Amino acid sequence: MSDLTETKVSSPVPPRSLTELFIGFLSIGARAFGGVLPWAHRALVEERRWLSPQEFAEVLALCQFLPGPNVANVAVVLGRRWFGLPGAIAGFLGLMALPFAWVLGLALLYADWAAHPVVRPVVAGVGVAGGGLFIGTALKLARPIAKRPVALAVAAACFAAVGVFRISLLLVLPVAVALAVLAARKRLV
Amino acid sequence: MTELFLTFALLSLFAVGGISTIMPEMHRIVVVANAWVSAPEFTQLVAVSQAAPGPNVLIVSLIGWKVAGLAGALVALAGICVPSAAAAWWAGAIWDRFRDAPWRALVQRALLPVTSGLVLAGGYLVATPEGIGWRNALIAGASAAALYATRLNPLWILAAGGAAGAALFG
Repeated sequence: MSDLTETKVSSPVPPRSLTELFIGFLSIGARAFGGVLPWAHRALVEERRWLSPQEFAEVLALCQFLPGPNVANVAVVLGRRWFGLPGAIAGFLGLMALPFAWVLGLALLYADWAAHPVVRPVVAGVGVAGGGLFIGTALKLARPIAKRPVALAVAAACFAAVGVFRISLLLVLPVAVALAVLAARKRLV
Repeated sequence: MTELFLTFALLSLFAVGGISTIMPEMHRIVVVANAWVSAPEFTQLVAVSQAAPGPNVLIVSLIGWKVAGLAGALVALAGICVPSAAAAWWAGAIWDRFRDAPWRALVQRALLPVTSGLVLAGGYLVATPEGIGWRNALIAGASAAALYATRLNPLWILAAGGAAGAALFG
């Protein structure tokens, strides 16, 4: 494991084999406590360096506009890019296999433990910290736009519309993308 | 079983931004229209799927499991995932084919602020299930700062969040 500055300068190298791809996505699903996205960023960009931070943001952006779980879409898009159909399948199955087992196992355990007085506040605390991991990941994604006021305004507007005013993504996405593309054409973002 | 698959396959294509978008419709179909699980059971399954590590979409395999055991769990998960994965395959192919096209660079530049804002909103919603308060702000703020500024393993951050939860929410 190396420091942050090295992560920035060394250029990313895609996985060399299907097995490596499968294990990489398996390692995301294995520990995806508190949400998958922060772990995907950590594994793909920081640990395995298959992608640069910019490439990750670009693939994630594409996947946010598609239906379905974002990171499962990331697995399909990257698997396809690197190894075609076998890659898409390996990435997807790698990502989903362990979480599928975790959730069934937890459902079996939950019935016995839910009543325990310590369980509820601890689970609540982990949940809030998981939200914090998403916020930290958003800050990492936003690094390239930190000095562009119009881009920051677009990000803030998207945050407010979905996070604060709870407007449906089906409405927010088309409007936000249209405005952002207009701004990009005028070189504002 | 076929009905289970088709129900979730149809929902899959509307799940832009993930499972939370279709949660109200899923509740209507699963609890009200078909009575596959009761309303309290549904809430409990949502809680379990959110607490388990992995995509929240796994709520559908818990519903499938209640309806038809392990096979039901697999069929429901395939239903919710296959259509959206096919869409991702197709969109990824187009996206990669136009790697060097000027419009792609433009769209990419436009999408970054939107993506950042949406991930931030997702984190905010998860961190404030019962409205914003100093406890949530403290735990979420400290976790975000630790992830952003250090290379600490996020598992430690979550463990600290659990300990803080026991101390503050207990």
